[in-house]
Amino acid sequence: MSGRTKSNRRLAMALSGFVAGMVGLAYASVPLYELFCQVTGYGGTPQVATVAPGPVSDKKIVIRFDANTNPKLPWKFKAAQTEMTVKLGEQTLAFYEAQNLDREDVTGTAVFNVTPLKAGPYFSKIECFCFTEQTLTAGQRIDMPVQFFIDPEIFTDPDTKDVTTVTLSYTFYPAEPEEKSVDAAEPDNKRKKS
Amino acid sequence: MANTAEAHHDDHDHHMPGFFTRWFCSTNHKDIGTLYILVSFIAAIIGGAMSWYIRLELAAPGIQYIDDFQFYNVLVTAHGFLMVFFVVMPAMIGGFGNWFVPLMIGAPDMAFPRMNNISLWLLVAGFILLLLSAVIGDGPGTGWTVYPPLSSQEYQPGPSVDLGILSLHLAGASSILGAINFIVTIFNMRAPGMTIHRMPLFVWAILITAFLLLLALPVLAGALTMLLTDRNFGTAFFVPGQGGDPVLWQHLFWFFGHPEVYIIIIPAFGIVSQIVSTFSNKPVFGYLGMAYAMSAIGVVGFIVWAHHMFTIGFDVSTRAYFTAATMVIAVPTGVKIFSWLATMWGGSIKFEVPMLYALGFIFLFVVGGVTGITLANASADLVFHDTYFVVAHFHYVMAIAAILAMFAGYFYWIGKMCGRKYPRGMAKLQFWVFFIGVNVLFFPQHFSGFAGMPRRIPDYPAPYEGWNYVSSLGALITMIGTILFFIIVWRTFYGEEAEANEWGEGATTLEWTVASPAPWHTHELLPDMTGKAPAE
Repeated sequence: MSGRTKSNRRLAMALSGFVAGMVGLAYASVPLYELFCQVTGYGGTPQVATVAPGPVSDKKIVIRFDANTNPKLPWKFKAAQTEMTVKLGEQTLAFYEAQNLDREDVTGTAVFNVTPLKAGPYFSKIECFCFTEQTLTAGQRIDMPVQFFIDPEIFTDPDTKDVTTVTLSYTFYPAEPEEKSVDAAEPDNKRKKS
Repeated sequence: MANTAEAHHDDHDHHMPGFFTRWFCSTNHKDIGTLYILVSFIAAIIGGAMSWYIRLELAAPGIQYIDDFQFYNVLVTAHGFLMVFFVVMPAMIGGFGNWFVPLMIGAPDMAFPRMNNISLWLLVAGFILLLLSAVIGDGPGTGWTVYPPLSSQEYQPGPSVDLGILSLHLAGASSILGAINFIVTIFNMRAPGMTIHRMPLFVWAILITAFLLLLALPVLAGALTMLLTDRNFGTAFFVPGQGGDPVLWQHLFWFFGHPEVYIIIIPAFGIVSQIVSTFSNKPVFGYLGMAYAMSAIGVVGFIVWAHHMFTIGFDVSTRAYFTAATMVIAVPTGVKIFSWLATMWGGSIKFEVPMLYALGFIFLFVVGGVTGITLANASADLVFHDTYFVVAHFHYVMAIAAILAMFAGYFYWIGKMCGRKYPRGMAKLQFWVFFIGVNVLFFPQHFSGFAGMPRRIPDYPAPYEGWNYVSSLGALITMIGTILFFIIVWRTFYGEEAEANEWGEGATTLEWTVASPAPWHTHELLPDMTGKAPAE
């Protein structure tokens, strides 16, 4: 093989390696993206903590509780309280209620975030039903706890010191991927006229 | 002017392959370039027809022709994919790149001639799959951005989106292999004496574009594969209910998508540099600045993707960064614009048709570029996002500027490629018809967008009708300009014979030292460029 051919082959191999590396990075972005949001709190991603620092001052903030259910999950899901006023740093317990309206056992998972989105890094959850899948038997009703605190730094950060209300929002989805949806999809959904 | 040691090869006893071997199993960069241009022409007719149908519907409020809205969305989607992946990229990179990079650097062919052929046929296969996706099932009604959840199995059931994904996989593979080919060719096969800093700017442009392709396309491939498995194999990359995130698709797509638009425009920059230099009879002003401006645009183009996502709820600091970084790209771009003007200043300018197109490019790219600066502002973009203002912006820079550069390249190089001259008068007429047409078509869309007209809609409230009507008239004029172009293409084959250098002493690059049409094999003896003036 001539020197030129060898050199061409080597460069081509190196460039192909680059391509493979970029594909790898694309797939690596999946866990990295989740990790990035968890670490930085971007997008209203709450933090996870093990222990609250305890109330540091009398400064208070209002927490509101929002509950949503994906239409494919046959549950009634709501917050037990609309809002609470909490002290910064103080460990707080709140409840959500869920009831399975179906005649069969149904498993759901919850996704969650907080608004305003910039409050994400300062909302820390200690215990949450959202950490695990929940299975409810037919007709079963349960109370689900959320233990959290607000990091006192929220009022020292210039970007967030204007926050007076933080809303914690959950949406429950069915845990299994929808096999029904493909057949049941309305064929005329997309042909809707004005 | 370059001197070559190349002997005449007209009497070389090449065994010319038969028709099938020559055209279906080609390893010749010129023939492959010709085939890419042919693909581009066919796709342009189909993509253009789709756009004219869309403009026909949008000419007046109310629904007149397209009452199947899924079909309307499919038209919008297919139009976008066809123009980006099967018209502009094949013409500029596959077509002009293949034809002229080896010629300009004094190489006999590309580094991997067979892989070159694979790239071409992968593209053809991708093209066929895209057309199939539109006619099998309900068609992909997602827009070229294919955002989930709209693109999920639930909302676009059936095989159409999957066929579209596979089409893009093949087109992407075609471009990645082509990029490897160009990089190896340009790095390793320049003629003796042609150092990197003495090669023509068009070659620089293709080199930079190849690196962008290499870095951006694999990310698209990954994202497309994730969407494919989400749709068909139960994964949940973009499904929120199972821990996925639709916004991840947007990040991945636009990490590819923004460099993609530079992939489209940088070859155009290269073509314009060659033409402005030739028809000003002057070397391009600031060669190094031009080369490194293109490099800077390429590099910075990778760190601005989220300016396509300003409305998804980013943190204010994030939006501030992407606004600033996006505006930074205007700096090297400005260097290029001023350098082209400086090239013309003091030069002996000939307003031949390629030069008209190049001048049109410079002017209209600036118009499109400044609306990009407007959109770069995150706060303003909250109002403009997904309106016709965005549509106007990207059509100015892609549909007008890039297409003008493609026409410029065609008129500049067709004599070299087929040995015949285009009809001068008709080409000048075609330039003006097309120029007027595309401006009447797209300029009013700025006003519609400013007034809040959303994009990707088949119908609109009555107050938007005025500018929409004007825009559709522009589409009609553009269509006439396009038909004129194809008539010119036809007539060129019967035109006057072209000499080796039909443009005079302003044309200093190596392709003008070989006969017209270029012999099937060129530079079989490498030209010696040591000590010669840079063949820019």
